[in-house]
Amino acid sequence: MQRVRTSKQWFAVIAAGLALAGAVAVAAPKTGSTVTVRVMSAKVMKSPKFIGPAAGSVSRGDQLTIAEIKGDWYRVTGAKTGWINRTSVVEGKVALSSSPGGGGAASRDEVELAGRGFTPDVEEEYRGKHPDLDFSHVEAIEKTGIDLSELGAFVDEGGLGGDQ
Amino acid sequence: MRRALLLAAMLVLGSCKVQLTPEGLAKTWDAITDAQKDLTPENEYWTGRSVATNLLARHEYRYHDADALQDGRLEGATAYVSAVGGVLAASAMETTRKGDRPAPIAGWHFTIIESDTINAFAAPGGWVFVTTAAIEAAQSEDELAAVLAHEIAHVVRGHALGSIKKGRWANVAKTALDTSVQLDEQSLGELTQVFEGAMDDMIDGILVKGYSKDTEYEADRVGLEIMAHAGYDPQALVRYLKTLDAEQGGGGGGFQATHPKASDRISKIQGKAQELGKVEIPQVRFARFKAAVEEL
Repeated sequence: MQRVRTSKQWFAVIAAGLALAGAVAVAAPKTGSTVTVRVMSAKVMKSPKFIGPAAGSVSRGDQLTIAEIKGDWYRVTGAKTGWINRTSVVEGKVALSSSPGGGGAASRDEVELAGRGFTPDVEEEYRGKHPDLDFSHVEAIEKTGIDLSELGAFVDEGGLGGDQ
Repeated sequence: MRRALLLAAMLVLGSCKVQLTPEGLAKTWDAITDAQKDLTPENEYWTGRSVATNLLARHEYRYHDADALQDGRLEGATAYVSAVGGVLAASAMETTRKGDRPAPIAGWHFTIIESDTINAFAAPGGWVFVTTAAIEAAQSEDELAAVLAHEIAHVVRGHALGSIKKGRWANVAKTALDTSVQLDEQSLGELTQVFEGAMDDMIDGILVKGYSKDTEYEADRVGLEIMAHAGYDPQALVRYLKTLDAEQGGGGGGFQATHPKASDRISKIQGKAQELGKVEIPQVRFARFKAAVEEL
């Protein structure tokens, strides 16, 4: 049976579309504009490449100002000054927490950027239904991030790098 | 009112080719939910944690350097595999294509599973697993890099997420995906049900039935590009596949169960591997690979 949507439901449809459009919009970045760190942590590099000396670390939710653009790299100022790759950030000022997608007390920004689908709430429900699954392993491994900026010696010693 | 909504939808969807009649609006909704089903990096993060946990559970949580990892340290062979993987991940981030997912929210993680079966697999969100047998079957760092690059390619191209059956979403109310309304218990239940099904689909693709042949060939092609950009020898993938072909022949589990025949993969990628050029591998790469294998 075809479900008839009320105007309120249609509004929800459009609102979802707007939220989605906001989440996926890729505005051309400009110098002077703000970007927000989307990944849990990222290195701000002294030059525009992943492997090499870092100027410092930034965390999800940190906001930086673009001072220069070189390909996929932004030279930023703010919490740290240096180069950050576009894949680590989202355009604009976005209020983000260290728990991607939020959970109960998530900001509107957080919820809209993350979208619905699979969220911390869903994981919690899933875990409740599968007490046999031991998440402590992935939680421990997750804390051992690879510091790409520190791979310089490994790359040099092995004659790797290419364009990196 | 309806007219205003149609206009709003037109503005939202920009160049999307949908008919904005009432029937077209239904299609518009489908377009929105289709995009939603593509899942954001945050969705991918929460999905990947559960997929990775399920994959580890199927190997009885037997992974190498477990004590160090539990203490938050990368040590021994795991530190080495993570360094090789890290170089490749950086390469993947520098060689992105449209629709790629090269920068997982929580970074990349490379874990060695203790198993006599030659296999490697990856979960969404940057989780790459390689068995001790798969490492021991390699003759060099470059061959190990070929295995890891193939898995990184699966993640970057979103192959596991793409294996979630679209029909899983059929019973989810539109409001469950609407970020403008509070998530209620019923919606949470519906989404969790999709999540359950998605786990089955992804684990089937990753570990049980495997992906389609075309998906595997794509991972080989993209993996070669990632390797070459990082400075590894693309021919190493051909050499590794030849070893698999010779060792496993027509039978066996692991790679053999979830991937096309090694000989077919070789014939598909040989041309591209040659086109990307041959790399003279420095002795130090052989030496440090050998040292890492001895730590297994």
